[in-house]
Amino acid sequence: MKKRVLSLGLVLALLTAALAGCAGKQNASWKVTCPWAPSGVAAMVSQQAATKSTSYSDTITLVAEAIKGDAATVNTWVADTKANDTQLVFVGEGLLSITSILDPDKLQFGYEDFVFVENLYSSIFVLSADAKLNISSIADLEEYVKQGDEISVAVNGAVGSEAFLAASLFGAMGAGSQLKLTPYQSAAEAAQAVARGETQFAVSHQSQILETYQQGGVTVVCAFDEKAIENGPFAGVEGVGSKGYPYFRNRCFIMARAGTDEKKVAELKELYGKILADKEVADWLHDTMLLEVDTMSVADVEAHIDNVKSIVNQYKDIVAG
Amino acid sequence: MLQHIVPASGLLFTLENILWINIGVFIGSVFAAIPGLSVILCVILFLPVTYSMTAIPGMMFLLGIYCAGGYGGSVSAILINTPGTPHAAATMLDGHPLSEQGRTKAALKIALYASTFGGIFSALMLLFLGPQVAKVAAQLGTAEYFMVCVFGLTIIAGVSGKSMIKGLISACLGLLISCVGSDPMTSYDRFTFGIPRLYLGLDLAICLIGLFALVEILAKAEKKPGSLNLDARKIKDDGVITKDEYKRLVRPTIISSIIGVMVGIIPGTGASEASWFSYNTAKNMSKHREEFGHGSVEGIAAAESANNAVTGATLIPLLTLGIPGDGTVAIMLSALMINGLNPGLSLFTTQGDIMYAIMLGLILVNLFMLLQGKFLTSLFAKVVSIPQEILTPIIVIFCFAGAFSVNENYFDVGVALIFGILAWVLRKLELPPVPILLGLVLGSMTETNFRRALLISNGSPGIFFSSAYCIIFLILIIAAVGTIVRGKVLERRAAAKKED
Repeated sequence: MKKRVLSLGLVLALLTAALAGCAGKQNASWKVTCPWAPSGVAAMVSQQAATKSTSYSDTITLVAEAIKGDAATVNTWVADTKANDTQLVFVGEGLLSITSILDPDKLQFGYEDFVFVENLYSSIFVLSADAKLNISSIADLEEYVKQGDEISVAVNGAVGSEAFLAASLFGAMGAGSQLKLTPYQSAAEAAQAVARGETQFAVSHQSQILETYQQGGVTVVCAFDEKAIENGPFAGVEGVGSKGYPYFRNRCFIMARAGTDEKKVAELKELYGKILADKEVADWLHDTMLLEVDTMSVADVEAHIDNVKSIVNQYKDIVAG
Repeated sequence: MLQHIVPASGLLFTLENILWINIGVFIGSVFAAIPGLSVILCVILFLPVTYSMTAIPGMMFLLGIYCAGGYGGSVSAILINTPGTPHAAATMLDGHPLSEQGRTKAALKIALYASTFGGIFSALMLLFLGPQVAKVAAQLGTAEYFMVCVFGLTIIAGVSGKSMIKGLISACLGLLISCVGSDPMTSYDRFTFGIPRLYLGLDLAICLIGLFALVEILAKAEKKPGSLNLDARKIKDDGVITKDEYKRLVRPTIISSIIGVMVGIIPGTGASEASWFSYNTAKNMSKHREEFGHGSVEGIAAAESANNAVTGATLIPLLTLGIPGDGTVAIMLSALMINGLNPGLSLFTTQGDIMYAIMLGLILVNLFMLLQGKFLTSLFAKVVSIPQEILTPIIVIFCFAGAFSVNENYFDVGVALIFGILAWVLRKLELPPVPILLGLVLGSMTETNFRRALLISNGSPGIFFSSAYCIIFLILIIAAVGTIVRGKVLERRAAAKKED
């Protein structure tokens, strides 16, 4: 009797699996791999997009996954995928513009291994200062730099986007030799370091410095963008671009494997477009994450990569010695 | 605070929340009991489930996993001498020997009670002292972190076994292995040999599988099959904890809960550090030091109360300052942010009811963990009666599946195997494996904070004596080293007297 029940159970399980497999053909699941921390900005945005995907498409379901590992994760992704696989990956300026110049051996891929699908958001980094220094504008900063003292800046990671933004700003002010970059393990740690007085400045996403700013531990000096920040708690903070200093926004592109059917890529781009047009998503990105919805074309992406590359080439000696 | 408690209770005590707490607690207990399947991995896997929920049930579900994971790791540590999670490694030192004495149920019960006490203690700290404690923690800088790490390294003496020299050799090996990967201060690669998967260093969970689980399998392979199974006739496992034992548990449980909270509020540290600090403190303060490492009830209680006391404490900097206390809590941050809640003190004013509901919920989570744990203990305890020829292959499968699941690749399975062989060789050389684990846990943190502190001070060592907190830690380090030296001198005198 037991054996019969067991056999029946097995048959039912196989049948269910087969039916589930048939149903799956109608609706393709696209796994979106984020190669950074699951608690990071990109991973959260990707999860939010995945949650919304079923509301806007009957044929595509996005499944978000975060595997911390940066270059190692993308290397594995490239090695394990081929054209038309239902897999997507996030790649940012960190890999395409920074690592590709500073440590090209680390990358087993190039831009040509991907086809661009969409960019979901852009983040404007800000420079914060220890409140005791009383620096709250670019003019104040220029005055401070003129004194010729050492300038210590807390950044997330030794050679990340934040490090290059700090190097480009102080380098362009002619203070590259005064600059001391202090790397921390996370952006939150870097933000706390400046509030504690361990460093004089920190570069971070707006959302990561917000709480420290609200408690009065830091002042926000400038934004790494062309113009002043328009909305949110940091509205009115000057953009370094307005004074002629170099800058770039933080962007993370969603890529498919090179050679993937153009129609599929267009479908995915359309889906992402619909998700980003959702008011709930846009408000969440804007109000909670302090990010901007930022859809892009291939030309925009290439321009962004080239812009960051030129900054890295110009200031790599300050960052990497 | 009081004006928020009543509405917060109303938000918390719903059928939906209680259901999600229980689902989370069950998943966390089972997941953490399997070597390699860490709590952080479990939270990552189930995080998307919370995105369709509102903030309170979502957080209750994740907190259920988080807290029960703290306890669940001890189950495999006690049953099969393999910590389910890195922070249960200290529990293993006494939990498994007690189980081998035929007191598996008692060991599991002590771990459960101590975990519950530690969890509730830290939840109360979060509720009543959260913002004040967080402000103190925020003042601890790079130099203070380094002093904490050095204090942590003094534990090596306590877990070195018979030979301090061999313990130090093992610890140095652990510190060396922790250097594998990108240099945290310059991003240059170290000991990666051009292997891309090594850029990020070696994952602690994978090393643990090799060091403690696979080595046991290799050791068993050397023995005759008949000698491995416990003689069921000799074992009368009624799970009874005597009155005297309960009395002995009180002090280490309370002190370890305090240590757990203190460690937990310091961002970047975690349950592993807390359980080792507490285990060492309990050993130094115990009247039964000789029992440690051989099935001490105090050892189990100290390690378990500390690693669960961390759970509430890590939420203190998260909810009050927006700084996640450890990796798992960092992931929970996204469950809050996805619901439009940006943690920080201002949230206590704008969304006070929700914040207090989450804090009260942590107490509820621990109570349900106790209830479920009491039921599961009997089930778990039956594992030891499974014949080794059946249990061993199952453990091997779980070990390899666990190693694979961390990053979903076979490279990690190979790393686990290499660590298993390394641990087997070290066992032959009588080198203890626990100091290697301590080196792995503390290595990167010690190095990073040491180098960063010197960078901040432009190379001046004065930074390590520059604050009151540094001085306090320095005194603790000197006291710890003094205790070790005194202990060794007394041991030698005792040995000399015996010889006479």
